Amino acid sequence: MLEERGLPTTVLALVLPQVEKTRPPRALMVPFMLGRPLGEPGDSDFQRRVLLQALRLLERTDGPVVLEHFPDDNPSHFDRPGWEPSVTLPPPGTYADADEWETAFRDELEAVIPAWERFEARFGRTTVGLSGQPLQDWPDCAASVLRGALPVVAPFESTALSVRFMCDDIKAMYGEAAQADGPAPSAGQIDRWFWRQTVAGQLLIALRAKAMESPNNGLKTVGGRFFVPAPYLPKG
Amino acid sequence: MARLEDIPGPTRTAVATIDCPAFETTPFVSGPPLSKRRVAIVSSAALIERGDKPFDFGSGECRPLQRSANADDILISHVSINFDRAGYQRDINVVYPIDRLKHMAIDGLIGSVANTHYTVMGSTDPAAMVESADFIAAAFKADHVDAVVLAPV
Repeated sequence: MLEERGLPTTVLALVLPQVEKTRPPRALMVPFMLGRPLGEPGDSDFQRRVLLQALRLLERTDGPVVLEHFPDDNPSHFDRPGWEPSVTLPPPGTYADADEWETAFRDELEAVIPAWERFEARFGRTTVGLSGQPLQDWPDCAASVLRGALPVVAPFESTALSVRFMCDDIKAMYGEAAQADGPAPSAGQIDRWFWRQTVAGQLLIALRAKAMESPNNGLKTVGGRFFVPAPYLPKG
Repeated sequence: MARLEDIPGPTRTAVATIDCPAFETTPFVSGPPLSKRRVAIVSSAALIERGDKPFDFGSGECRPLQRSANADDILISHVSINFDRAGYQRDINVVYPIDRLKHMAIDGLIGSVANTHYTVMGSTDPAAMVESADFIAAAFKADHVDAVVLAPV
């Protein structure tokens, strides 16, 4: 759309079928997972190679459709053997009611906070902050949803979005805590730990189930689609 | 390409079979050598600055990202939960390579970095983004941009 408006463009392309359909003027196909078009976090040399190859396509004169492939996988694409999360947690249990979920999640958060703070100190950043809720409020908000309430937290105007972005913040905090120390694990290693070995992961699955039963259509729709990614949905 | 076999089933089907716009023309705009170009980024990650409200689902809006913004206060607010966030948690440049561009300008590989970059919600129907495309194109031209990197997620 920008090229039609007179601007030279080059795209870091992640999905070949989409490139074949849209035929952008210049595309560099990269072999990285969705969500990381530059490939490797924290590796400026690797990112620079990717970006420079994409930008060099702007100097080609053999259009109107130029397609190249970046040759290398990024190092953390694959599972890192022996990786352990930077916080050790007891396995999640079973919780009879919202009060038990709230207590278990609050206790787990206390254990996760030190690793999360180490991540923030090490990388100088945190991606927690979409929900507008302080983390101390998350257990109560989550438990209230399990009890059937419909909390609304500014800046949002619906329970669906309030809870959706709280879920995003929970995932962000745990993802950061898991990789506070040592070299980068694969994304899959973090995901498997979060969704299978933490109270928080099980809580989000429980929130999804509750949302799916809700008379609030917004919560039902958003909860069904945006609380838990497909690979970690309960079977059946 | 992202290995389709690595993408979970429903998402794999969606990205591989999604309707894409068919463009009737094949524009191919030329320009000066890369070392003379002014480069801008357009990210589809629905990026926001910390404290701003996330993009609405299906929004066709675009939002500016200033070159001078603190990159560590830029957050993804994209609707999809089916792409990786772990890389971006460690380094915003894996999604929005603003620091890479700045260093390439210092090293003379590109001419300069645009003052303002833009972000959209990549899952939105492109037909809803026509006004945003017009706006971004005009803004880039006013800033003398002659190279745009499109960074989808």
